[in-house]
Amino acid sequence: MPSDSPLPAEAWLNALSSLPDMGPARLRALLADRQPEQAWRACLQGKPLPEVEAVVGGRLLTLTAAWAKAAGQLSVSELWSQLVKQGVQVMGREHSEYPSCLRDDPDPPLVLFAQGDLQALAPAPRVAIVGTRRCTRYGSEVAYELGKTLTTAGVSVVSGLALGIDAAAHAGAMAVKGEGQPPVAVVATGLDVIYPKTNGALWRQIAERGLLVSECPLGTTPAPWRFPARNRIIAGLADAVVVVESHEKGGSLYTVDAAIERQRPVFAVPGPIRNPASSGTNRLLADGAIPLCQVSDLLEQLEGAGHFVNEPAPSPVRALLPPQHQQVLEAMGWEPVSLNTLADRCGLSPVDLSAALSALVRSGWVTAERGFYERMSNTT
Amino acid sequence: MLAAISSATLLGVRGHPVSVEVHVANGLPAFNVVGLPDTSCREARDRVRAALESSGLAWPNQRITINLAPTGVPKAGAVLDLAMAVGLLVACGEIEPELVAGLAFLGELGLDGSLRPVAGALPLVDAIEEPGVVVALGNQAEATVVGPETLYCVPDLRSLVRALRGDEPWPAVASIPEEESLEDDPDLAEVRGQRMARFALEVAAAGAHHLLLIGPPGAGKSMLARRLPGLLPDLTQAVALASSRIRSAAGEPLPSSGLLRRPPWRAPHHGASAAALVGGGSMVMRPGEVSLAHGGVLFLDELGEFAPSVLDTLRQPLEDGTVRVSRAFGSAEFPAQVLLVAAMNPCPCGGSGAPGGCRCPESTRARYARRVSGPLLDRFDLRVDVQRPNPLDLLSGDPGESSEQVAERVTSARRRAEERGVVANAELSPAMVEQAASLTEEATQLLKAALYAGTLSARGLHRVRKVALTIGDLSGHHGPLTADLIDTALSLRIDPFHPVGHAVG
Repeated sequence: MPSDSPLPAEAWLNALSSLPDMGPARLRALLADRQPEQAWRACLQGKPLPEVEAVVGGRLLTLTAAWAKAAGQLSVSELWSQLVKQGVQVMGREHSEYPSCLRDDPDPPLVLFAQGDLQALAPAPRVAIVGTRRCTRYGSEVAYELGKTLTTAGVSVVSGLALGIDAAAHAGAMAVKGEGQPPVAVVATGLDVIYPKTNGALWRQIAERGLLVSECPLGTTPAPWRFPARNRIIAGLADAVVVVESHEKGGSLYTVDAAIERQRPVFAVPGPIRNPASSGTNRLLADGAIPLCQVSDLLEQLEGAGHFVNEPAPSPVRALLPPQHQQVLEAMGWEPVSLNTLADRCGLSPVDLSAALSALVRSGWVTAERGFYERMSNTT
Repeated sequence: MLAAISSATLLGVRGHPVSVEVHVANGLPAFNVVGLPDTSCREARDRVRAALESSGLAWPNQRITINLAPTGVPKAGAVLDLAMAVGLLVACGEIEPELVAGLAFLGELGLDGSLRPVAGALPLVDAIEEPGVVVALGNQAEATVVGPETLYCVPDLRSLVRALRGDEPWPAVASIPEEESLEDDPDLAEVRGQRMARFALEVAAAGAHHLLLIGPPGAGKSMLARRLPGLLPDLTQAVALASSRIRSAAGEPLPSSGLLRRPPWRAPHHGASAAALVGGGSMVMRPGEVSLAHGGVLFLDELGEFAPSVLDTLRQPLEDGTVRVSRAFGSAEFPAQVLLVAAMNPCPCGGSGAPGGCRCPESTRARYARRVSGPLLDRFDLRVDVQRPNPLDLLSGDPGESSEQVAERVTSARRRAEERGVVANAELSPAMVEQAASLTEEATQLLKAALYAGTLSARGLHRVRKVALTIGDLSGHHGPLTADLIDTALSLRIDPFHPVGHAVG
């Protein structure tokens, strides 16, 4: 083992977090009053530590034995050189690049793995856009538009790169070419474990033009408990949290709890009361979240908190429509509607209605999916 | 001591002539039936003996052998009972052989000597070459349909023997009542709202396009589908005969006229086996539901609940219009020209199917969608969504058009299809589509765009053109198909299981 240059604290942190059954709480206990290197040696020796016992209770001895066994088989320097080779940045709490907003977090990640543009963690306004994985087109459109507008306004979009709202927000942020604040994706797996697989392309784009962050070492596979834990980092990194769509008991409500704990303002996008994907957000509004009716609501809040934001450019509005098409649009409303229901509502003959709908789909006013038609926003 | 009597047996939905040879000889008393009889056929010996004795006729206490020729053809059921009894009487000298010459006998005997109707009288009588046929009273209507030269209907063995001997005249043949259908088709006017779904029914009826109704429980899918036969024109003589033949062979009730004139309606439960759906059996080939619906509508409710392997057996009959069932001992061919209508929920949770409107994760939906194979889904030219109707429409809405009004348009559209040389537009061959369904420049562009976007397959392209042609026929359109007609055909062909993309842009 070449030991001429001493390893940085991050190398020991990485090794510690790679131990089996290691989570944020156990890591914090290990590092309570010792340096990472000391903690590693303690693990290697299999010494039962009272701080760890306070967290894990009766399982202390098995866990310590498992750590000692795993630590004996791991080479700290080899793990470290792998990280360096893959271009993964590792930040402990003392690291100069460690985000300042997390330094006084009630439950800060003790180590952060990052890949991409660290500029995204610079002191600029950041807004978390979160929501359900099972979103409606309305939700994904709003998330996309928000992501796009905020990025152009110089606000960094923070999200979890999950399906649905998260992905739409990131896709919106990535759609801004050139000027624009890079987005941050806080994931709950190792940076080399793409999850969910369908987001692969977006994942790689963000690794290139944004920033991927995780508190899990490379190779960590998804586990249910890691997602709520990840959500606290999203809330900690953001200056405000926007919930676009959430079910009554959605995972994004963990992010909201974490945001409230950290005194970050919570915005919720109102939705139809009949839509289950909006029941969680509407409940948040009833409980005192700030309604997000337009992006300026959010930007004003950020400016009020002392951040500098650009004026977002107004989006171009679609051309006007012939009256018969307008009639179809009005009958459609803003919720997905099937052809059959629409025919009953607007009273046009099947052939006229189909022709009008097809023209509306072609001109981008309406989307068609699984036989359901849904109105899109008036802007392009 | 030998007699040969003509009769017939069923093979699939066809009759096959059988000669019942009876030999009575001295020896130990016995009664053997040979020549591939099935169990119910072999049991004839007990019925025949009891029937003869109950009718006051002598039972020969001798060695009786009955051979059913041709011996290679399996014989099923009790249809040969009567021929065996008559054969015995001839062999014993009770009846002179000349008296039964030129006659065939079909019927099952009761222990009291009464003659019971048999399933499949229509194809059985059709198969008989003799000029005269004797059947049970209950088979009179069916037998009349195929019209043998002379038809005798008798109530029991005793009166048959007396009539044969000339002691009594043959029982008078009652006239057949002119009742039309089995049950009246319900009227489309009872459906409130559902404008587009009603239109899809009309198009399906006019062009014989298979129809898939997708929607949550309680939306009225089955109610709509049940009204489809009422929109179809009467069966042609050939189809009516074929259809009645199948029903008769399967022992299903026929109208009192003996001939099915209205399109049949079959709605098998989703637990149906492959043999129940397309036909089959181990010794006796029975037509399946798809053949029983020949000329009419086959309705598969809860399509997603049918076993996928069972559904896929439907693909070939839908394409060819016939089912060929082959088993180790032989094969049978059944006609199966049906209008397939199916209904299913958009997903297992029974939600509306609207994006965001259901509780099922994408993976569950995908699993549910896989239950209906792509090739089968492709055969549905019309796939429409049916949502629960507006409550106001249910209570106060005006009744829609009646079946009669819609059927009129359907008939005139079918007349235009006949001018093209087919019964309905769905039967047009690709070459005929090119000729009959030419496209305007705009319509061509529209289809090209759909093809490039991958929302339409090459097979789908033809089907869309045929549907557009039918829609044009219904609305009295002439000339090349316009973009509006293609648009309508495309919007009646939704892809219900297309996964919703998560990232926009």
